[in-house]
Amino acid sequence: MASVHDSLYFNPMMTNGVVHANVFGIKDWVTPYKIAVLVLLDEMTVSKCISLLEKRRLNKLILPLLQGPDMTLVQLLKTVEDCCPQLAYAVHLRLHLMADGELKDMESFFDVLPSPFNETESEAHKSSVVGLFMRHMVLAYNKLSFSQVYKLYKALQQYYKSYERKAPLVSDATTDADMEQLAPDGLGRKVEKQDLDLPPSEDDVASTEPLSQKQAEYFLAQQAYFLKNDENKALKPAGLQKELNNMLKFNPDFAEAHYLSYLNSMRVQDVFVSTHSLLHYFDRLILSGSDSKSNGDEGYGRSLRYAALNLAALHCRFGHYQQAELALQEAIRIAQESSDHVCLQHCLSWLYLLQQMKGSDSTVLTEHSVKMAVHFSLPYLASLGIQSLVQQSAIRGKNAKKLINALKDTDILHWKHSMSELIDISIAQKTAIWRMYGKSTMALQQAQMLMNMNSLESVNLGVQQNNTEAFTVTLCHLAELHAEQGQFQAASEILKHLKERFPSNSQNAKLWMICEQKIQFDRALNDGKYHMAESLVSVISALCKTEGLYRKALVLKAQNQTSEAYRVLQGLLIYCEKTKCTEMTIRVMLAIAELYWRSSSHGIVLPLLLQTLALSREHHLQKLASETVLHLAFSQLMLGIPEQALNILHMAIEPILAHGAVMDKGRALLLVAKCQVVTSASVPADQRHQALVVAIQNLEEARSYFDKVDCRDRVRDIFYLQARLYHSLGKTLERNKCAMLFRQLNEELPSHGVPLLTRL
Amino acid sequence: MAAQMDLVEIKRQLCGIEDAQDLDAYTLAKSFFDLKEYDRAAYFLRGCKSQKAYFLYMYSRYLSGEKKKDDETVDSLGPLEKGQVKNESLRELRVELSKKHKAKDLDGFGLYLYGVVLRKLDLFKEALDVFVEATHCLPLHWGAWLELCNLITNKDMLKSLTLPDTWVKEFFLAHMYTELQMIEEALQKYQSLIEAGFSKSTYIISQIAVAYHNIRDIDKALSMFNELRKQDPYRIENMDTFSNLLYVRSMKPELSYLAHNLCDIDKYRVETCCVIGNYYSLRSQHEKAALYFQRALKLNPRCLGAWTLMGHEYMEMKNTSAAIQAYRHAIEVNKRDYRAWYGLGQTYEILKMPFYCLYYYRRAHQLRPNDSRMLVALGECYEKLNQLAEAKKCYWRAYSVGDVERMALVKLAKLHEQLNESDQATQCYIIYIQDVFSCGEILEHLELSTAFRYLGQYYFKSKRYNEAFICAQRCCDYNDAREEGKALLRQISQVRGEADPASTDLSLPFLYGPLSATNTPVRRMSPLNLSSVTP
Repeated sequence: MASVHDSLYFNPMMTNGVVHANVFGIKDWVTPYKIAVLVLLDEMTVSKCISLLEKRRLNKLILPLLQGPDMTLVQLLKTVEDCCPQLAYAVHLRLHLMADGELKDMESFFDVLPSPFNETESEAHKSSVVGLFMRHMVLAYNKLSFSQVYKLYKALQQYYKSYERKAPLVSDATTDADMEQLAPDGLGRKVEKQDLDLPPSEDDVASTEPLSQKQAEYFLAQQAYFLKNDENKALKPAGLQKELNNMLKFNPDFAEAHYLSYLNSMRVQDVFVSTHSLLHYFDRLILSGSDSKSNGDEGYGRSLRYAALNLAALHCRFGHYQQAELALQEAIRIAQESSDHVCLQHCLSWLYLLQQMKGSDSTVLTEHSVKMAVHFSLPYLASLGIQSLVQQSAIRGKNAKKLINALKDTDILHWKHSMSELIDISIAQKTAIWRMYGKSTMALQQAQMLMNMNSLESVNLGVQQNNTEAFTVTLCHLAELHAEQGQFQAASEILKHLKERFPSNSQNAKLWMICEQKIQFDRALNDGKYHMAESLVSVISALCKTEGLYRKALVLKAQNQTSEAYRVLQGLLIYCEKTKCTEMTIRVMLAIAELYWRSSSHGIVLPLLLQTLALSREHHLQKLASETVLHLAFSQLMLGIPEQALNILHMAIEPILAHGAVMDKGRALLLVAKCQVVTSASVPADQRHQALVVAIQNLEEARSYFDKVDCRDRVRDIFYLQARLYHSLGKTLERNKCAMLFRQLNEELPSHGVPLLTRL
Repeated sequence: MAAQMDLVEIKRQLCGIEDAQDLDAYTLAKSFFDLKEYDRAAYFLRGCKSQKAYFLYMYSRYLSGEKKKDDETVDSLGPLEKGQVKNESLRELRVELSKKHKAKDLDGFGLYLYGVVLRKLDLFKEALDVFVEATHCLPLHWGAWLELCNLITNKDMLKSLTLPDTWVKEFFLAHMYTELQMIEEALQKYQSLIEAGFSKSTYIISQIAVAYHNIRDIDKALSMFNELRKQDPYRIENMDTFSNLLYVRSMKPELSYLAHNLCDIDKYRVETCCVIGNYYSLRSQHEKAALYFQRALKLNPRCLGAWTLMGHEYMEMKNTSAAIQAYRHAIEVNKRDYRAWYGLGQTYEILKMPFYCLYYYRRAHQLRPNDSRMLVALGECYEKLNQLAEAKKCYWRAYSVGDVERMALVKLAKLHEQLNESDQATQCYIIYIQDVFSCGEILEHLELSTAFRYLGQYYFKSKRYNEAFICAQRCCDYNDAREEGKALLRQISQVRGEADPASTDLSLPFLYGPLSATNTPVRRMSPLNLSSVTP
C-alpha cells in the first residue's frame, strides 16, 4: 500500500528497532511563545516600577503560563496587560525589536539571559520553578543545530507578525485569535479562505499546536485529576478525546494518553474504545519498562500483572462478571508466580468486590483481605476492605455497635494517613447506616458534617474534592431526609444543586436521578395522584429494578388492583429473600399485610407481621420495626382488642415521633386516636369525655402532619372523625366546622368507599 | 461539431507551438530535475506556458517541499514535533492548482498532481474526485489509478465511482480486488487479461502469484513465482512474498539461492532485506534476521511486513516486550494487519495470559473470519480458561471454514472425550480419519493412532465388535498404540469366544463410506455464536 509519495524518513531515535521517544531526555524545547514568556520573566526581574499588587498578580500568573499550552501573542499580552499594563508594553517592545531585527538579536537575548540568575541575590533562585524553566530553555536553545536556530527565528518572526495583523482588532479579536494559530503560512491561509470553501473542521480545531512533553504531561495529569475528583471541570468527553487523538497523532509513543483515553471512554460507557485503549496502553507500557528485563518487582512482568488486573476492573465496571473473573484469575496466577504480594492484595480486593457485585457472600474473603492488607501495611486497601465489610455486615444485620466501632477505628487510620477520599466515604457510609437503622437525626448530623468539612486536599485550581460519589450519596440522603420531613422546597433545592454539580451525563448522576424519582413518587402517592405515580414507576424501574417493582405494586395496591399487586409482591418477596435484601423484604411484607386488610383478613396478617417485626428487630431497622408495630396495632384494633393495640403503640410512638417521617407520625397519632376512641366506649362517662378530648387533640396533631405532606385524603378522614367526636361531645359549633371542611374536601377528592376501616 | 473539432485542432497546434517555445527551458529544467535539484528546475520553468513544462514546474516544487520535509524530520526540535513537520509548499500548490482546475486548464498529469496534493492535505474526498477526473483525462497514467486505489476502502465505494471504460480499468479492478481481499474476482480478471493478450506480462504473473499467496494456495503461488523468476530473473519486486512462501514450505536451498541472487542484484532494497531476514530466520539465526528486518525498516519505516516479521523474530528470541512493540508498530501502520494482531495474541499466550490474549485473537478473527488458525487459537485459549462450550464452538467453526492444520477436529474430539460425550467424540474422530485419508497423505501418526484407539474402545464398549476389531487392527499400525491395539484384539477375541482371523483384511466401510452421517448424529452447535462471551 505504501505509495511512492509517502515520506521515506528515517527516524534517528530508533535503535534496535525500538523508537525511544525521549532518547536525549528532552522534555521541552524552545518555541516563540516560550521566548515571549522568557522576555516577560526577564522584564519582571529587571523592571523596578511594578507595584506590589501587580507583582502579586504576575506571580500568580507565572505557573499557568509555564505549564499551559502555547498561546498566541495576542492572548499572552492580553493576560499580562490585565495584571500590569506597562510590563505588557515592555514585553511587546522587546519582541518587536527582536522580530524586526536580525538573527543576532535573538542570539544575544539568549546570551544575556542567564546573567540575572548568576547573582545570588536574584529573585528567581536556580532551583525554583522559574529558575528551572529558564535553565531548561537555555539548555534547549544551546542544543539546537544551526538550521534549527534559524527555523526558530523564522517562527518567532511569524509569531510576531500574526500578532501585528491582529493588533488593530485586539479589542474584539480574542475569540478569533483562538482560531488563527501562529500558522507559518498564515498569509496563504487567508487567501485560501477567500478562494476556497474549506471544510469547517480545519478551523474548528481549537489547538492544533503540538504540546511539548512537559505540557502534555501536565495536561494529562490535570485532566485525570479532574476526572477523578470533579468531572465537571474536565473537558467534555468528545473534546477530551479529540485532544488525546491529536496528541497521539503527534507522538504515538505517548502511552499515558492511551490510559486517559481509556478513562474517558469509561465515562461514556464505551466498551470497545476503552478496552482498546487500555490494552494499547499496557502494550506500550511494557516497552517503557523493558529496560530492566527482570520479571520481578520492576520491569515488565509487573506491568503485565497490572494489565490483567486492570482488564478485570474494566469488565467489572461494565458488569461483565464472568470475564472479570477470568481476567482476575489470570492476574492472580501471574502475581502468584512472581510472588508480588502487593498486586495479589489488589487482586483480592477486586475479588471480594466482584463477589459482592455478583450478590454472593464475600465476608470471609473481605476479612482475609483486610488482614493481609494490614500485614503488608497497605492502609488504603485495608480500610477500603473494612468499609466494604461494614457495609455487608450492616445489610446482614450484624451487631450495630461493633460496626460503628469499626468505622471509628478506620477513621483514626484515615486521619493519621490523611486519606481524605476515604474519610468522605466513611462519613457517607455512616450517614447511610444511620438512615438504614432509622435514626434520621444521626444521619442528618453525619450528612451535615461532610458538607461542612474542609477537604484535606490542598486546594488545586479551585477544585475542592467534593464532587465524588461519597458527596452524591450524602446529598441524596439529605434530600430524602428533607422530603420525609415534608420540606419539599429544601429537598428540591438540594436536588437542583445536585443536578448542577453532577450533570445528567456524569458518572454519579444515576444516584440523584433515582432519589428524585422516589421523592416525586411518594408525593404523588400521598396526594392520590396515582396516574402520575404510575408514570414515574417506569423511570424508577429503568434505574433500579427491584425498587421499580416495589413501587409498581404500591400503585397497583392504591388503584385497588389487589390480585395483580399481590402477584407482583410475591415475586418480589422471593427475589428479595434470595438476594438477602432485608430492607426490601420487610417493606414488601408490610405491603402484603396491607393487601390482606383489604380482604378484611386481619387474623391472617398477625403471624406475617410478627415475622416482619422479628426480622426488622434482628437487623436493627428501627424505622421499619416501628412501622410494623403500627401495622400490628391496627390489626389488633380491627380484631377488637384496642387495649392491646394501645399497649404496643406506646412502644412505637416514641421512636416514630423522634426519628420518623412526617407521614408516619401522622399515621401513628391517627391510630392512637382511633384506639383511644374505641377503648373509651368501655369506660365510665366522665372518663370517656376526657379520653375523647385527648383523642381530638391527637387527631389535630395528626392533621397538622398530614397537611405538611399534602395528604388531603387522610385530612378528610380526620375531619370526619373529628366531626363525629365533637358530635358525641355535643360541641355543635366545632362539629359543624369540621363537617364543612370535610364536605369541601370530599367534593374535591374522588371517593373510594370507606378507607377508614381498611387503611392504617 | 466541426467547429469543436477545429478548436481541438487549433489547441493541439498551439500546444505544439508552446512546447517548441519552452523546449530549451524544459530540457534544462528536466536535467536539473533528474539531478534532484528541484528548486533550480522550478526556477527555470517559472515562465513556461506549455502543459508539460507547467507540470514539471509544479511537480518540482512539490518534490522540493517533500524533500525539505524529510530533511526537517531529522532536524526537528523535539520528539513531539515529529508529526508536525509538513510539506510547506502544499498549501500554495493547492491554491494555484485549484485555480487552474476551476478554469479547466489542467491536463491529466496536472490533475494527478492536484490529487496528490489534496491527499497529502488529508482532503480525501476531494482527492478522490480529482483522481477520477485524472483517469478520465489520461487513462493510461497508471500513477493516478494507483493513487485512486489507495483512497478506496471498500467495495461499495468502488462501485459508486464512474471510471473511464478502457482496458486499463481492468488492471485497476483486478488490483483493487486483490487489495480488498476479493481474490476469486481478482484471479478471474487477471485470467481474462491474459487471454486478451497480456500473456507475457510479468506484472500479471506476479499479481496472480500474490493473489494465490493471499488465499494460501501455496503450491500454485510457488509455481507462479518460479515462472516469474524464469521470465524476469532480475526482478526484486514481490520477491519478499516469494520468500515467505519458501519459508512456509521450509525450502532452505531455494530460499538461500533467492537471497544470494537478490543480494547480487541490489543489497539495499526493502525486499532484499526481507528475503535475507526470512533466510536467517529459517536457519534459526534470529538475531541476524531481526537485524535485516530492521534494515528494511530503516529503508522504509512504513513497510508493514517487516514490522510483523520482526515481531516474529523477537518472539523466537523470547524477547516478548520487543515483539509486542514491533507488532504494535505494525498495527499502527495498518490496523487491518491480522498477522500482527495474531502475533500479539501469541505473545501474550506465551506469557501465560490466556484471557488477555483473547482480545487480540478476536481482533485477528474479525479481520479474517474464515481463517481456521485464529479460531483454533481462540479455542485453545477458551480451553485453557475452562470455557469448554466456547472452545467447542471455536473448534467446530474452525473445522467448518476449512481447517488448515487439521487439528481442530482432534481437539474437539478430545474436548468431547473430556466431557464424557463419547458419541460426539466418536463422530469427530471418524470425520477426522476420513479427512486425513481422503486427502491421501498421512500427516500425524500420533493423532491418527489416538483416534483409532479411542474408536476401538468406544466400539468395544458399545459391543460392536466388528468395528472395534478393525480399529484395533488399525491401532497396531502405529508404534505408540500397538500394545493397546493388541490388548484390545485379545479382549475382543475373548468376548467373542471365537477368533475370526479371516476378516482381517476387511476395509473400513464405516470410515470411508457415507455411514458417518447415519452412524451417530452430529451435534450441530451453532458455530457462529461466538459472541456469548464477547462483550
